[in-house]
Parts: sequence; C-alpha cells; structure tokens
Amino acid sequence: MANDREVLREVWEGKLPIAFKLDPDEVVELQQPDHFYLMVPRLSYFPLVTDKVRKHFLRYVANDKQDREMWLEYDGQPIKWHYPIGVLFDLLITSDDQLPWNITVHFDKFPENQIYRFSNKETVESYFMACLKEADVLKHRGQIASNMQKKDHNQLWLDKFEQFWAVNRKLMEVSSEQEHFKYIPFRCYMEDGYRQKLIKPVAEDGRRKTLQDLLHEMFPGRNNVNIKTHGMIPPLETPLQWMSEHLSYPDNFLH
Amino acid sequence: MSDSVSENQETNDSLQSFQSMSLNDAGEATHEQENSHKCDKQKIDILLKPTGNAPIMKKKKWTVEGDKPISWIAEFMKRYMKLEPNEKLFLYVNQTFAPSPDQIMKNLYDCYSTEGKLVLHYCKTPAWG
Repeated sequence: MANDREVLREVWEGKLPIAFKLDPDEVVELQQPDHFYLMVPRLSYFPLVTDKVRKHFLRYVANDKQDREMWLEYDGQPIKWHYPIGVLFDLLITSDDQLPWNITVHFDKFPENQIYRFSNKETVESYFMACLKEADVLKHRGQIASNMQKKDHNQLWLDKFEQFWAVNRKLMEVSSEQEHFKYIPFRCYMEDGYRQKLIKPVAEDGRRKTLQDLLHEMFPGRNNVNIKTHGMIPPLETPLQWMSEHLSYPDNFLH
Repeated sequence: MSDSVSENQETNDSLQSFQSMSLNDAGEATHEQENSHKCDKQKIDILLKPTGNAPIMKKKKWTVEGDKPISWIAEFMKRYMKLEPNEKLFLYVNQTFAPSPDQIMKNLYDCYSTEGKLVLHYCKTPAWG
C-alpha cells in the first residue's frame, strides 16, 4: 500500500515555472504581447493548464486564426500534450539553469504529422483514463479499474490530493495473498519514443526487485543508463514495488 | 499451418506497400521511425477482431513491424475497410483499454500478446471505457 504520505504529497506538489511567448510571426498587433508566466503542476497536462495562456495571446493573432487549436513548441519541436508536463520537462530540459522553461505558443500551422489534436478536455480525460486502465491491467489484471464507477473515475480526474488518493489508493492496493503487483506499469523514454515490458516486482526466489533489476531487464549489457523521474535521479536500489506505489504519475505509470 | 504462413507472407507484402504510401504522407513522423532502434524492426503477428457494429475484415491476421504505432494501424484499417475519413475507429487491447495512438506494436506485443499473437479488437464506437 502506498502509505508514505509525505512522499506522495511532495510528488503531487511538484511545480515548474514556465514563460510562454507568442510566436512573433503570428503577432498582428503593433505591440508584441508580454510573456505569460505560470507555475504548472508537473503531474498535469498542458491542455488543462493553458486556458489562461490562450486568453492572454488571443487578441494578438489574426481574427481567422483565433478559433484554431493552440499548440506549443520548445526548441523547434512541437510539444506532445499527451505526456504529463513533468515527463516532458525531464525529457527536454537537462539543466535547471534553463528555468523558467521558455515555450513558444502557436495558433497557426498545426503540425498534424507530429502531434495529435486534443480538440477538448474530454479527449485528454479519456486518454488519461485509458492509461490508468492499462496500468491496472498490468497490476491487477484490470479488475479494480473495471469495477469502479463513473464517480470514482471523476474523482481521479479532479485536482485535489485528498480526493484523488481516496480513490487511487484502491488502485495501489495489493491482494491479500500477494504482497505486490503482478507487473510494474512503467514507460522508459528514449530519444525515439518509449518502451514498455512486463517486469515483476519480485524475483523467482521472492527477492524484491529494484530499479537496478528493471534496467538490467530493459537494457541488458548496458551499465551507463541514466534514469530520471520527477526531476530527480532515484537510487538504483529503490524497490520497484515502492516506486510504483509512490512515484507513479496519476495515470498509475512510472515515467 | 502452411496455409496461415503463406497468408501472412502475402498480407505482409500489402502492408509493406501501404507503408511506402504513408512515408510520403507523413514526413516528420516517419523520419523518427526510421531512426528507431533495430530491435523494433522485429515482425509482430497481430489478429484483428471486430466488435459491435464494426465491419469484418476479410484478412484478420497481419504481420507488422514492431515500431509501427497504433495510429498507423488504425489508419491502415480505415483504408482497408474503406471507411470515410471522418469515421472513427477504436482499437482495444485485452478488451479493456484503448492503447495510446503513439504506442508501438512491440511494446503492446511484449506486454499483452497471447500465444505469439497480439489480439486487437476494433469498433466504430467506443466499446470499453
């Protein structure tokens, strides 16, 4: 059971400072708009926190572009809205000197081939719930998430720590005959996407597996793999079961 | 047994030609795939099963490359079944969850295959969750 509440709270409260600026080529007003500064939760998704950003820049772009879907870019690359913000930051930013995170806002030329349209917040929510169900398939053969009711699902989607954990604790429970999940839901990100594999939290002989074991199974023969999650480098001897219970994102995956 | 092998061989060929079509369509996205790790070129056997009101595909067994994302499979199926561009197609794993459009076949195969095959259910309206 996820019972180290201080850690859960700490992870939950992780925030990042971001400076949004509108692409200068899209500004049709004489005066350039000010940057828009925001502290955003690491665990959230960009479409959920950027309403204000959109509002701020809207009047600076051409009338016929104001209804278009806003998209974000960092360092020449469109930002994948369906990754949690903290995951994106850990992938794209290598040093804290780069804070605040400078992100360019666009209304024009949506890069259809590179990122998906989210159209509305329901899309983000259904994506989130699909990840959560997948995680539950790995942990409990999907039995817990499928027995949940709509109101439980809604509660997992709210942004309050207590309400989230009141429901999420069920997803983090282990059955009475087993003291661990069936498999650990995780995604290992590399330059060209992410990898997933079936990895058990305990070895054949009952020994608790650690992050080191996960890396050996994911990248056999490579000893120089660096791992980062929530902006920190977890010790390699961290038990996988504990990591899954405490350091998973709200979608129940370790990223 | 030999029957199903030859069927796979044949379907594999048509998937290949479709792939070259999509290469022209989607510049950036496929460029990324070309760079991906060699092991992802591993061929994956998939079995497509209709559910609800979905049209039946004449060929159910396909072989695809491991680095292909779900969105690519869905686009392929839409063309194969001649769906309108605005018609939706939903794919499900384990009859439980809809995999992310950027999820690659190798990941799904490694986690959810049974008896050497990855079973994907498809339908035109959301089925599970």
